Amino acid sequence: MKLTKVGAFAATGVFVFAACTTGGGGTTPAPAASGGGGASAGAGGGDKGTLKIAIELPFQGADKAASDPIKNGVRLAIKQAGGVAGGWTIVNTDADVYDDALNGAHDPQTGANNMTKIVSDADVVGVVGPLNSGVARAQIPISNEAGLLQCSPANTGTDLTKPPDSAKYRPAGKPNNYIRVVTTDDIQGPAASQYDYETLGKKSVYIIDDTEAFGKPVADNFEKDFKSRGGNVVKHDAAPKTTQDYVSIMTAAKALNPESIYFGGVTATGGARILLAAQQVGLGDVPFIGPDGINDGNGGTKDSFLNLGGAAAKNAYSTLAGPGTFDQKTKFDADYKTEYGIDATGYAGQGFACTQVILDAIGRAAPADKASAREAIRAAGTATDHTYKLIVGDVTFDANGDTSQHIVSIYSFDQSGAGGKGDWKFDTQVDYTTK
Amino acid sequence: MTAIATPTAAPRALNRGVRMAGIGIAAIVIYTIVLWLALTGYTGLPVEAALPVAVQQTVNALSIGAIYALIALGYTMVYGIIELINFAHGDIFMLGAFLTVVFTGGVLGQTGAVRDVIPLILIVGGALLVTMPIIGLLNVAIERTVYRPLRNAPRLAPLITAIGVSFILQNVAIILAGTGDRAAPQVFPLDWQIPLGGARISVLSLFIFVVALSLMIALQQFVSRSRLGRAMRATAQDREASALMGVDLNQTIALTFLLGGMLAAAAGVVWGLRFGFVRFDLGFNSGLKAFTAAVLGGIGNITGAAIGGFVIGFIENFASALNFSRWSEFLVFMVLTFVLIFKPTGILGQATGDRA
Repeated sequence: MKLTKVGAFAATGVFVFAACTTGGGGTTPAPAASGGGGASAGAGGGDKGTLKIAIELPFQGADKAASDPIKNGVRLAIKQAGGVAGGWTIVNTDADVYDDALNGAHDPQTGANNMTKIVSDADVVGVVGPLNSGVARAQIPISNEAGLLQCSPANTGTDLTKPPDSAKYRPAGKPNNYIRVVTTDDIQGPAASQYDYETLGKKSVYIIDDTEAFGKPVADNFEKDFKSRGGNVVKHDAAPKTTQDYVSIMTAAKALNPESIYFGGVTATGGARILLAAQQVGLGDVPFIGPDGINDGNGGTKDSFLNLGGAAAKNAYSTLAGPGTFDQKTKFDADYKTEYGIDATGYAGQGFACTQVILDAIGRAAPADKASAREAIRAAGTATDHTYKLIVGDVTFDANGDTSQHIVSIYSFDQSGAGGKGDWKFDTQVDYTTK
Repeated sequence: MTAIATPTAAPRALNRGVRMAGIGIAAIVIYTIVLWLALTGYTGLPVEAALPVAVQQTVNALSIGAIYALIALGYTMVYGIIELINFAHGDIFMLGAFLTVVFTGGVLGQTGAVRDVIPLILIVGGALLVTMPIIGLLNVAIERTVYRPLRNAPRLAPLITAIGVSFILQNVAIILAGTGDRAAPQVFPLDWQIPLGGARISVLSLFIFVVALSLMIALQQFVSRSRLGRAMRATAQDREASALMGVDLNQTIALTFLLGGMLAAAAGVVWGLRFGFVRFDLGFNSGLKAFTAAVLGGIGNITGAAIGGFVIGFIENFASALNFSRWSEFLVFMVLTFVLIFKPTGILGQATGDRA
C-alpha cells in the first residue's frame, strides 16, 4: 500500500518533469532523423518527444519470481529497439513499473487502482501486464474505457478473449484494446493432461486446485481432457491459499493411490507447500504437474516453486502457455544473460514479445502528436490483418485479442540446472494451432 | 474441570487427570471409527484399506490440533485475566516460527533431517529453549508498552490496539523476511514412521502431540499448584479484590503474557518441523482458528482451550480426509456457530456475567 503511494508520487513527479522537457523540446528543433540514432532511452532518440510503456505486474512474494523476468524482457526489447519507435523516444523508468501485489500476493483491486493511475498518465501508450488473469478481469474495463493498448505476457484465463465472456470485461463497448501473446487455459490444461496420460503414461491422477480465478479453471480443463482420454481422476479437491494443514489433505490423496498429481494454481497460493506435503506422506515418487504458475524461476530464485520445493521437486513438471523453443531463443537467452547476468526464465520471452508488439504498433501508427497517439497505437496494435514478427514466431491477433499461436511447452525438473540448484528444463511442446 | 477462576484441590487432581485421559482416548478412538466408516461410505475405499488411513488421519488431526491448542491457550489466559481478545497473539506464534527458522537454520546451520537421536533432541530442545523465552518476553514487552496504559480504558480501545499490534508484527516480519514463503528446516526426519497394521504413524506427529500435551499439563499444574498460578486465578476472579489482598497485578498480568507467548512459540517450533514453511501472514489464519478454539472450549478456561484446539483439528482433518478441503473452514465455523447457539459459553465455559 505504502509502496503504491510512493510509486504514484514518483509517477506524478516524472509526469511533471516529462511535461517540462516536452515543452522545451517544442522550441528546440531536434537534430536526429526519424527513427535514427539508436541513442539510449531518454537521451532524445526520437524527435517527436517521449512516450512511455508501463509495466503492471505483482512484485512481491512468490509472484515476484515470475514478474522479474518479464520486466527484464520488456526493458531488453526497448533497449534493442534503441529506445525509439515511430519517431518517438520510448521509455520505461522505474516510475512506470506498477506493483499489483498486496500483502505478498497479486490483488485485483490493487491492479485496478494501478490501471486507473496508468491511464491517467497521458504519456503512456502501451502497458505490459498483468501476470494474473484475475487481475486482468479487474483491469481491462479500465484500460478499454481509456482506449489504452494492453498486452499481457502471461494471462491464460480463457474468458478474457472468448465471447461472450470477454464482452463482460469491456462494458464501455469500446473497440478491443487487449491482446496477449500466450495461449489459453483450455489449451494449457489439456496439454498437461495429454503429456501426463500419453507421454508419462499415467492412467490416474489426483487433482488439487487453489479455488482461485486461474487455478480452478485450468484444473477443470485438465480434468475434462484427462477423462476424455479415458484416464481416471481419483479425486478433484481444492484448498484455498489460507490452508494450514496440507499434510492431512495429501494423506487423503495418498489413500487413493494416484499415479500422478495435478496442481491448478501458482506458487503463491500453495504450489510448493502441497509438493512438500505430498513428499511427506509418501507421494514423492509420483509426478507432480502444474501450470505456468509454478514455472517461475530456478532453484536459486527466491520464493520460486523450485526454491521452496528443493529436493522434493525431483518429479515435478510444469507447462508454459507459449513456445519453449523458437528460432531466436539462443540469441535471446545470450542477450538476456549479457544484460542481466542471469538466465532468462518463465515468461521473459513473452515480456519481450509484448513489447515488440507495442513498439511495432507505435512504429506503424507513427502518431504526429500525443493527443492522437494512444488511440492510433491501440488501433494499430489490435489490427487483425497485421502479422507480427515476434521473437516467439510470426503471430496475428484475432478480433478479441487472442494470439494465433496455440503452443504449450512442457518442462521437467533438472537437478543439474542453474549450477546444481535445479531448474526447469524444456522437454517438448505441443502445437494446438490447428485445433 | 479447571476453569482458570476455579480453585482446585490438589488431591483430586490425579483423579481428574485420569478421567480426562480416559475421555481423551475415548474421543480419539471414536473419531477414528467415525472416520473409518465415513471413508468407507463416502470415498469408496475398501473397509480394510480405510482403517489404516483413518488411523493416520487421526494422528494428523492430533498434530494440527495440538498446534491450535497451544496457540489457543494464550488467547484464553489473556482473556481470562484482563478480558482482552489479544488479536496479535497469532502473530506472536508466527514470530516464534520465524525465530525457529533463524535459530535452527541460521545459527545452527541445519537445513535437512538429523537422523541421530541425541543431536536431534539437542536441536529441537535448543530451539524450544531459545524461542520460548524470547517470544514470551516479547509478548510481555508488548503488554507493558501497549496494553498496560490502556488497561482501564473502555474495552474497545485495547481490542483495536491489539489489531494494530497484529499489523505491526506482520509488517516487522515482512521487513525482515519478505512476503514470500520461507523454507523452515525440517530437522525431524519425516520418514520415521511406526508401522501399525497397514498404517504408518509419523513419529513427528506423535512427538508434536507429546510436546504439546506436556506443556499443557505443565501449565495446568503451574496454574493450579503454584503461588503465582494462584495469583493468576485470583486476578482472573476479581482484579480489585486480589490487588487489595496483596497480589501484584502488573506482575501477574505480565506472567500471563509470558506463559501465553512461550506456548505460542512452542507451537511455532513444531509448526516449522511439520510443514516446512513459514510466512508473514501465518499467524492470521492460525490465530483465527486458535481463537475459535478458545471460544469453542469456553474462553477463559484453560482446559477448554486445549479441548477446543483438538476439536478444531479434528473437524479440519475430517474435511481433508474426505477430500472436502475447500469446505474445511466452513465446517469449523459452522460447528462454532452451533455450539454457541446451544451453549453460548462454549464447551467448558461458565456463565461469564458481565464479561464478553
